[in-house]
Amino acid sequence: MNSKMSIAAAVCAVIFGATAAQAEWKPTKPVEFVVTSGAGGGTDTFARTIQSIIAKNNLMEAPVVVVNKGGGSGAEGYVYGAGNAGNPYKLIFGTNNQYLLPYVAKLGYKPADMVPVASMALDEFLIWVNAEAPYKDIKDFVDAAKKPEGLKMGGSQSKDTDQTLVSIVQNATGAKFTYIPFKSGGEAAVQLAGAHIDANVNNPNENFGQWKAGMVRPLCVFSANRMAAGAKVAGDMSWSDIPTCKEGGLNVENYQMPRTVWLPAGVPDDAVKFFVDVLTKAQQTPEWKSYIERTSQTDRFLTGDEMRSFVKADEEKAVQVFKKEGWAVQ
Amino acid sequence: MRMFHGMVLSRFAMEIATGCVTALAGAIISYGATEFGTGWDDAGPQPGYFPFYIGLLIVLASLGVVAQAFTQHRRTGQVFLTGEQAGRIVAFAGPMVAFVALCVLLGLYVAMTVYLFAVMTIQGRFKIPLAALVSIGTAIAFYVVMEVWFQVPLLKGPVEAMLGIY
Amino acid sequence: MENFSNLMTGFSVALTTYHIAIMGAGVLLGILVGVLPGLGAPNGVSLLLPLTFTMDPISAIILLTSMYWGALFGGSTTSILFNIPGEPSSVATTFDGYPLARKGQATHALTLAFLSAGIGALFGVLVITGLSSWVAKFALKFSSPEYFAVYFLTFASFVGMGSASPFKTVVSMMLGFGFATVGMDTISGSLRLTYEIPDLIKGISFLIAVIGLFGIGELLLTMEEGLRFDGIRARVSPREVLKTIATLPRHWVTLLRSCLIGCWMGITPGGPTAASFMSYGLAKRFSRRGKEFGKGEPAGIVAPEAADHSAGTSAMLPMLALGIPGSATAAVMMGGLMIWGLTPGPMLFIERPDFVWGLIASMYIGNVVAVVLVLATVPLFASILRIPFSIIGPVIVVVCFIGAYTVNSGTFDLWLVLAFGLVGYVFKKLDYPIAPLVLAMVLGDKAEDAFRQSMIMARGSLAVFWSNGLVGTIMTIGVLLLLWPLLAAGISRVSGGFGRTPSIRLN
Repeated sequence: MNSKMSIAAAVCAVIFGATAAQAEWKPTKPVEFVVTSGAGGGTDTFARTIQSIIAKNNLMEAPVVVVNKGGGSGAEGYVYGAGNAGNPYKLIFGTNNQYLLPYVAKLGYKPADMVPVASMALDEFLIWVNAEAPYKDIKDFVDAAKKPEGLKMGGSQSKDTDQTLVSIVQNATGAKFTYIPFKSGGEAAVQLAGAHIDANVNNPNENFGQWKAGMVRPLCVFSANRMAAGAKVAGDMSWSDIPTCKEGGLNVENYQMPRTVWLPAGVPDDAVKFFVDVLTKAQQTPEWKSYIERTSQTDRFLTGDEMRSFVKADEEKAVQVFKKEGWAVQ
Repeated sequence: MRMFHGMVLSRFAMEIATGCVTALAGAIISYGATEFGTGWDDAGPQPGYFPFYIGLLIVLASLGVVAQAFTQHRRTGQVFLTGEQAGRIVAFAGPMVAFVALCVLLGLYVAMTVYLFAVMTIQGRFKIPLAALVSIGTAIAFYVVMEVWFQVPLLKGPVEAMLGIY
Repeated sequence: MENFSNLMTGFSVALTTYHIAIMGAGVLLGILVGVLPGLGAPNGVSLLLPLTFTMDPISAIILLTSMYWGALFGGSTTSILFNIPGEPSSVATTFDGYPLARKGQATHALTLAFLSAGIGALFGVLVITGLSSWVAKFALKFSSPEYFAVYFLTFASFVGMGSASPFKTVVSMMLGFGFATVGMDTISGSLRLTYEIPDLIKGISFLIAVIGLFGIGELLLTMEEGLRFDGIRARVSPREVLKTIATLPRHWVTLLRSCLIGCWMGITPGGPTAASFMSYGLAKRFSRRGKEFGKGEPAGIVAPEAADHSAGTSAMLPMLALGIPGSATAAVMMGGLMIWGLTPGPMLFIERPDFVWGLIASMYIGNVVAVVLVLATVPLFASILRIPFSIIGPVIVVVCFIGAYTVNSGTFDLWLVLAFGLVGYVFKKLDYPIAPLVLAMVLGDKAEDAFRQSMIMARGSLAVFWSNGLVGTIMTIGVLLLLWPLLAAGISRVSGGFGRTPSIRLN
């Protein structure tokens, strides 16, 4: 596959003349956006938003094709990326699962099989409870969870971001949670609205509708600062009225999930630079701002070394938990 | 396909063979499941619990099939496949397998053109111009619909690269 | 009555020339993606999505949903003509649709499928209209034990009575469960049965299995028998369509039962696939012509089609009201809703009634438009069967492999289709039933997830499946259906055993 592709690239270069090779790298055929989640998932919306921004603002001449490869919690997409080493026409969209998945499952790729392009936003995590639940704040909640029977906490997937956070909270407080994995954050949201579980740690966007309708409410957000102010969501509450967990006395300061973009390892540096440019332009558009606002994410754009050091810190934090819980396979 | 002439595969033999293959599949499933714990802990069944017993059930039921073959199909003279039928199957499946191999090597478009053309001329006895028209036309029609209209990329090979398509 | 006046407002939104034109375009595009290999409703909808970014949300959702209806109808077409179901939910349609088409009654089969589907869809919209507020609350009662009970009920209603050897039924169904297990396990996060083969990480797609088992397997069987499609003269005439319409009232019991099952499964939400299988199973069990099922029995087409479409339409309600997408297509539409700046959830009904009721009204009109358009295409598609087999045979092969490739864009799947083709061929010749394998593959991992989630919630106690009235009732009905053949035998013995003697085989 790889050799075929590089032959193809070489042939293209010959056909289109040496002049193109001299100039900066530019895609000459459709670029594939590989989405490491199913259609409709958070990563899918992320990739398709970028696609629509690129199309609307003519940021790239070559057309974009979106391909969903969400099997195995996204591993399918990364394995595909690793198998396309040196091919600059495969842009891979994901989260922190790119570098965390290989720790908890034996997979056919290594994080180093891809080079980072950009981390475009940070998704927040909150503790949500059913609207009728008796807990007024996070302290009440943690106290209730310290009782011998503990509380039932739902989340998306197993040994993934949600369960990692739950076990961090558990270690920080000594509370006891029974973690129930569902297929998606959306399912966890509905189960909470129906009071089948006691809480979940969904991203803002996954519980937004239920909060607005007064079926669930947030207790606190795992962030150093409160979230950006916006319109009122439920009653007189807006996102910025949610206390941080630290304020509430829960000693877990920061837990966020990056929305990341990668290229297969071995692509020319010019190609990385080209896509960094395109994404930089994309994140300055009003469409991107409205995506960030609508999904209540934190607007933080990282590339190059900044992104590398973020990844390293995030990885270390998670690996500690994996080791402690005995999830690590390597 | 004269090579199968007169040969007969009995239903009894095929029942036994299939039973053995499914039993083997069951064993492989059970074996694969042992990696994850096949018991039942306080949080319910462990990851390997269901696959393990699924595999085991396949093995047991396959043995049942084999036993039933002895009681129901032995010496009944039932035929699974005659030589003539086998010939027809090979005449159809042979080109199909070659088509898949060709897909992997040359991509779907080239492979489908070659496959349709070959089957139409050799087996269908169509005239070469008509066969060429239909096979190339089909490939182009699929290309237009899949790649151009719906932007679903299909497998492509070196020929497309040479022509500078994708 | 409030719903009724809302609906009238909705009609005033939906019944504009522009919107009718959009519906027509959407339905035609949908039929095209439905018929084409490898393109299903989810692809179609996600490909159209970028086009809708600049549209008004109501027009956009009308376009997308119309495409969805079209694709559902188109998917039934390939099930009936080529034995290749385009969507999981149209698998059950192949059981009797394809044999009927092989008998030369392709027009009859297609027309019957489209009409029952249309009736199912309209029934679904009626339920949405009448019960929207009540139904939305009901879906919230569903948690993992209830989901498991629904899947159990589906298995129980489908697998009770059959003529195959019980051992073979077990082998077939358990293989299906085994294939469904391959890949990432939701509950533990571990990769099961992948044997360190990277291609197996994503699991074995149900579509790959179906293309091989049904499409290729059937072709092999056809070839071996020396039968050729060109021996079948599909009668193609508009009069045939009218004649079929006249036979429809005969199936009213099946239709009603199927629509009810469909709505129940769409709302709860067990999904269209479970609905079509359950409906087929029950139709077979309660029909006096039960033995004719699988050989081209018209009721065997009516039942799954009506249930599939009433489930498909009524599943829009949980999506709008709760933000639970009932299917992959609904998930993509939900993504669209968010991109247009709408939030699916209970507040949508209060904040944007024009959108919600405009959509519901468009579902009435859109489905009527779809039935009319799709009936008009029947002669066209039925005439495909007249092309000589040495052309259409290889073209079907190509279609199967294109379809297989597009599932995951991987060449591994092409070989897998060949392997499943061989399995399908051998299994059919040795009288292994294939439907249980497919059903287990579709619902197996969902049922396992639901079971294990329930166990975590209940700390390993099976009593959770009888812990409240709702789950207890569904489980009890399931158990009764499983034991039905035994019960029926007992009843007929008590009542003197006149009439047909039911088979007592439990498999």
